[in-house]
Amino acid sequence: MECVVQGIIETQHVNALEILLHGLCGVPKEQVRVHELCLKSGPNLGVVPSEVRLLCDLAHPTPSWTVRHVGGAMRGSGADQISVLVRTVVESKVSNNVLRFFYGLGYKLDHEILKVGFAFTFHRGAQIIVTVTSAHKMPKLHAIEEALPITPNIHMVEITAPATAENYNEVVAAVSAFCEYLAPLLHLSKPGVSAGIVATATAAAASLMSNSASKPL
Amino acid sequence: MTVKWLMHWQPKPGTTLSTQILTEACQCVESIGGQKDGRWRSVLTFYKPMQRDALVPVDHPRDFLGLALQEQPAKYYFILRPNRIVLEADASIQVIMEKLQSYKARVTLNFEGFQYKLGDFQLRVGKCVPSASEALRGIMMEVEYIPLSSIDKSRQVLEEFFDIWQETISKKSLPGHFMHIESNFADYGLQDRYTSHHTAVQYATCMAQLIAAVRC
Repeated sequence: MECVVQGIIETQHVNALEILLHGLCGVPKEQVRVHELCLKSGPNLGVVPSEVRLLCDLAHPTPSWTVRHVGGAMRGSGADQISVLVRTVVESKVSNNVLRFFYGLGYKLDHEILKVGFAFTFHRGAQIIVTVTSAHKMPKLHAIEEALPITPNIHMVEITAPATAENYNEVVAAVSAFCEYLAPLLHLSKPGVSAGIVATATAAAASLMSNSASKPL
Repeated sequence: MTVKWLMHWQPKPGTTLSTQILTEACQCVESIGGQKDGRWRSVLTFYKPMQRDALVPVDHPRDFLGLALQEQPAKYYFILRPNRIVLEADASIQVIMEKLQSYKARVTLNFEGFQYKLGDFQLRVGKCVPSASEALRGIMMEVEYIPLSSIDKSRQVLEEFFDIWQETISKKSLPGHFMHIESNFADYGLQDRYTSHHTAVQYATCMAQLIAAVRC
């Protein structure tokens, strides 16, 4: 299981967000460069149509592959009242022939994107991962070197935290509490419920940038 | 990882398998100095597609194999023979396959037996039985030569061991013999340096032989 919230920020404020996150987390940022391939089951395969994501981590000299399955979100009145989405997620690290394998099983490529940006992983009430990325599209199949930003002026921010059926309440609380710190720069909400950009972001970013100029990190 | 040969018992035409053969094979291992050092268990699963409409022609395989090896408890292997693909994954891939509901684990075969230490060799002898019944489907053996990880370099020593083993087992006058079918690792893009991927390919090769033997 994981708890997740998402938001968007204008690219011009990403540096300010990075300064804020660095200050809050106290850990160095990690580079993110992930080639994400979304596959869907071919016609007539499976009881219901299914979808699986193959993630190729390109941030390290040797690319590594992960299969990720995102399940249904937790439902019910309790889930409606919280501002964080709780959903099942299963991941498995796999060998680099995984795309051929799923093609062999009868899965088809639905779309692919390249996510480029940075992430902070830290512990604050729970393990929290903040990822700030720009989504790139490929002009040709798998042409990651030629990838271009889909929305050059907007970056995506995602906060995820691993959870279990026993502790998700505490993890939700930890994620919600952390989101408060970022409120001057961005709104975070459940995936699919976009809260748009924040009106105060420009002022908050300017303040963060001027503070960091006088206090080098 | 060091080189391993997988062998299966090929019964004489018209004869049936019995656990007696397994007992005799274990005695043979002990007679040549094998020291029992634990149990052996691998689990092989046949995954079959789940189709929405059985009458519509499909472009996916009729089945593929999943394999859990005792020496790699955190890993799981899928073998897609028609495409010559062996995939290594974390054991959690089984949960993903279950959630996708596109293929279902239909038949599970357990390979269970004993492990022996014999000088530079590690031997495993066991039976192959479906998880849902006690029906004996095959008798298998793994021979691992611990000092080497190159398939080519270890070939001669494994061939010599195989000859000695055949001679030992032939004294028992059992109705059949052990066979080692050479897998074509290059077809799967595997190199000379032995890995668990090679073991997975050998299991798939052996499985095809066992199925063919049952059909004879």
